[in-house]
Amino acid sequence: MMSANISNRSFRPYTGEKARISRAYDYLILVLALFLFIGAFHLHFALTVGDWDFWVDWKDRQYWPLVTPLMGITFPAAVQYVMWNKFRLPMGATLCVAALLIGTWITRVFAYHYWNFFPINMVLPATMLPGALVLDFILMLSNSLTITAIFGGAAFALLFYPTNWPIFGLFHVPVEQGNGQVTVADLFGFQYIRTGMPEYLRIIERGTLRTYGQYATPLSAFASALLCSLMYTLWWYIGKWFSTVRYLNKI
Amino acid sequence: MALSSEQLKAALPEQLKAPLEQLGNAPWYLKDLPTYLKAFGILTVIYIGLRLYQGEFAVSAGLDSYEPAFEQYWMRLFYIELVVIALFTTGLWGYLWVSRDRNLDSISPKEEICRYFTLTMWISVYTFAVYWAGSYFAEQDNSWHQVAIRDTPFTANHIIEFYFNFPLYVILGGSAWVYARTRLPLYAKGISLPLTLAVFGPFMILVSVGFNEWGHTFWFREEFFAAPIHWGFVIGVWFALGVGGILLQGVTRLIELLDDLEDAP
Repeated sequence: MMSANISNRSFRPYTGEKARISRAYDYLILVLALFLFIGAFHLHFALTVGDWDFWVDWKDRQYWPLVTPLMGITFPAAVQYVMWNKFRLPMGATLCVAALLIGTWITRVFAYHYWNFFPINMVLPATMLPGALVLDFILMLSNSLTITAIFGGAAFALLFYPTNWPIFGLFHVPVEQGNGQVTVADLFGFQYIRTGMPEYLRIIERGTLRTYGQYATPLSAFASALLCSLMYTLWWYIGKWFSTVRYLNKI
Repeated sequence: MALSSEQLKAALPEQLKAPLEQLGNAPWYLKDLPTYLKAFGILTVIYIGLRLYQGEFAVSAGLDSYEPAFEQYWMRLFYIELVVIALFTTGLWGYLWVSRDRNLDSISPKEEICRYFTLTMWISVYTFAVYWAGSYFAEQDNSWHQVAIRDTPFTANHIIEFYFNFPLYVILGGSAWVYARTRLPLYAKGISLPLTLAVFGPFMILVSVGFNEWGHTFWFREEFFAAPIHWGFVIGVWFALGVGGILLQGVTRLIELLDDLEDAP
């Protein structure tokens, strides 16, 4: 088994042709990374958070603020390991989340709206950008896995609902429908028939959740904060494991 | 009558001429840049062409697999895809193997740098195909499932996503692996673990199609996208993170090679 170690023979800045070679390599990597993170993170996200991010009527106050940050902190943590530990670039989380948003927006517009005529308001993606910026910021300032996992992971989860509220709050306005009270988001769900209905409708505002009143959302967010701290650490090590530089004799 | 290349150049707008001329004079380490850009262009045309085909024929001929029109417009496309994929795989992997460097111990640092750039371009084209397969057409599958009840594993989106996009990125990832193994000394002496993970892991997504479709024989629901039956795809795509290790291997070697290179203005 061989292993590769970063050369310490010369750390003086390159000039002339060597600088141009180095910069050209950077640009190639930028293009590669952009499509890699859109493709890979989006697939992971669509098949784990998926429905909660696709549809406005799935954006409830019990599961949505729990599931989205929990599954959304995974790739950012893994990529932060490589970009910060190996290259001192404090932008791993923001890069991943920005790439995810590019991918989801393209799909919502061209696959949902233009192909199948779902209103774009029904399929708006949520954003995790504020949380990602804070996550990168805390890692850069602390240079610590522990601090970033506890405070960054918690911030990533806790910021999710309030930073999405300006986008989705208007869909939570109550309206009367069939002698009952529903939200505008629920109305979208009833009006645009999906093949998974009726089971696909998310009517979770019932039972004990109603008696909890306004506390359901912050409780979900704090539960997510705890889990995100753990998930961040797990994925930091997954990022470390995947960035191995080993060569094997056989596979 | 076909236009000559000179006539084509003359017809181009002024703004395009200068960058195209510069491409022709690319520095030695970017000698494969024109091919790389052509690959992006060709793939873009193919993917957008397939999406336009879906827009044209998915609703009119792709809702009921028992209709004769479905056989004509969709199954025929499926058979064409199989042939194209088989020919492309054989041709590309065959070419990479036959044209391999049989004297890897004597390549110059400049040549090796150039090949690291080309390997990065191969991986970049691979990730571009991963974008279309893992992002656009993957989530589009959910959109289609929510408007058309599945009566076959060969839906208007599956025929493109599962049986063309998935094999295509596997072929391109495999090509990057074969390129590295046959043209770069370090990759020829040992098998790069991160490159292998980044190519073989996402390959398992293709295999997961069988598991996924088997699962859907039990559940009629169309469909809970975050369901556990889909998590085989998820685990496969995690291995794309191996690209971090490939980057570290490449940067490490490039630093050594640049140190061996004479300074030039």
